[in-house]
Amino acid sequence: MANNEPIIRIENVTKRFGHLKAVDDVSLTIRTGEKVVIIGPSGSGKSTLLRTINRLEEITSGRIVVDGMDIMDRTTDINKVRMEVGMVFQNFNLFPHKTALQNLSMAPIKLKKISREEAESNALRLLKKVNIGEKAGAYPAQLSGGQQQRVAIARALAMNPKIMLFDEPTSALDPEMIGEVLDVMKNLALEGMTMVVVTHEMGFAREVADRVIFMDHGAVVEQGTPEHFFKNPTHERTKLFLSQIL
Amino acid sequence: MSQEKTIIEVGDGAAIPSKKDRGLFSAWRISFFGAIIILIYLVVFKPNPYLRIVKFLPDGIIVTFQVTFFSIGLALMIGLITGLGRISRNKIANAIASTYIEVIRGIPLLVQLFYIYYALGRFVRVPDMVAAVIAMSVCYGAYMGEVFRAGIESIDKGQTEAARSLGFNRTQTMFYVILPQAWRTILPPVGNEFIALLKDTSLVSILAVADLLRRGREFAAESFAYFETYTIIALIYLLITLLLSKFVSIMEDRLNYYGKQ
Repeated sequence: MANNEPIIRIENVTKRFGHLKAVDDVSLTIRTGEKVVIIGPSGSGKSTLLRTINRLEEITSGRIVVDGMDIMDRTTDINKVRMEVGMVFQNFNLFPHKTALQNLSMAPIKLKKISREEAESNALRLLKKVNIGEKAGAYPAQLSGGQQQRVAIARALAMNPKIMLFDEPTSALDPEMIGEVLDVMKNLALEGMTMVVVTHEMGFAREVADRVIFMDHGAVVEQGTPEHFFKNPTHERTKLFLSQIL
Repeated sequence: MSQEKTIIEVGDGAAIPSKKDRGLFSAWRISFFGAIIILIYLVVFKPNPYLRIVKFLPDGIIVTFQVTFFSIGLALMIGLITGLGRISRNKIANAIASTYIEVIRGIPLLVQLFYIYYALGRFVRVPDMVAAVIAMSVCYGAYMGEVFRAGIESIDKGQTEAARSLGFNRTQTMFYVILPQAWRTILPPVGNEFIALLKDTSLVSILAVADLLRRGREFAAESFAYFETYTIIALIYLLITLLLSKFVSIMEDRLNYYGKQ
């Protein structure tokens, strides 16, 4: 499914918070169109690693290249990189003072300088795609958690990114709303989007991932296809983790 | 065992009427309509000297409003810059903003007024009114700076992260995402400062600015009707501040539009 061009290269990346090594010498290559799911116990550094990819966390050492741009290089315009990398947060982080439609159209209007009409018709199309077209005029406070997260995904898509990062997108949701968000993500995967997903949803990992990565104590312990990963994990720590959550 | 610290907040402006306090006999209504009734009674039944006083004052009211509006506008700008300075990662900007606030808060407003008025006078010749506006806004800008800082810091960090990850730079994030939301938190204290500022403009009457109080003093000095004049002056200040506090509470409601279910 994925072709072979690497679009994200993470080389020997370490991120320290004071004495704590949140990410410890991680190297990863993610190819265009690949769906990578990162799992691991809380505090394993998986969210931190994800957040280094668009430089929400600045790395302490190492190198990250996204679509040919070294994100720590002084000459790289990080805002340009971020326009190509959509991000979805655990807590949605929608702009509460804007309607769903405006949440989607704002960045394209201000940053890509496209006309309001074009941005809004594009926004409406995306809202329909995440099955929430009828709520275009609603403010985030008027939407359920699942609806908010779908708007948040659409907001990231409105910038037409090449890569989508998901930071535990269903962890803050009531159980009955998890499905609707995962369905949107599955559709996105089918369209060939490059996706890096930090999640506890093992069913999603099994079904969608090209590769599952298990992290613990800031390091990549094991990685492989879902089949290998869930049926024949080689590492003790992976086995222990899987036995605890499955 | 949770111990909560009780914080007693006493605003320095007029009380902004709360939602619970809107009955027929709310403090606001009693004060407002009471003041109007007394004013009308005095003017109608004792036109001498009250009607003469009331006719003498409009120029002063206009000046009071002018000083208030120019000062609040300038103070808001100074406050925004100071507030941004206080949260800036630039150490120099931060130190300047913090020191400015510290110094201003430690000097009585009346002393600042005299100081800026005469300090300005040493270098440039500016109209009294301009000196008064500058002095008022330099003072109130410091208080506004703290209000802006607190308002900006009250916005969840996730908002900044969401905006930055879409590709907005720091400045765009501040102006498109953070400030429009912070405004809701900022407005009530700004409204309070606004009202407090209007009352404090009475201090500029000392600087030869012909505001409401100064016009009153002039009238009183000529007519010796001190008690009567200051009765009217007090009633007019009261009516203005009550109207302003009403206006601020309406604005607060307007800004609440997106929080409703």
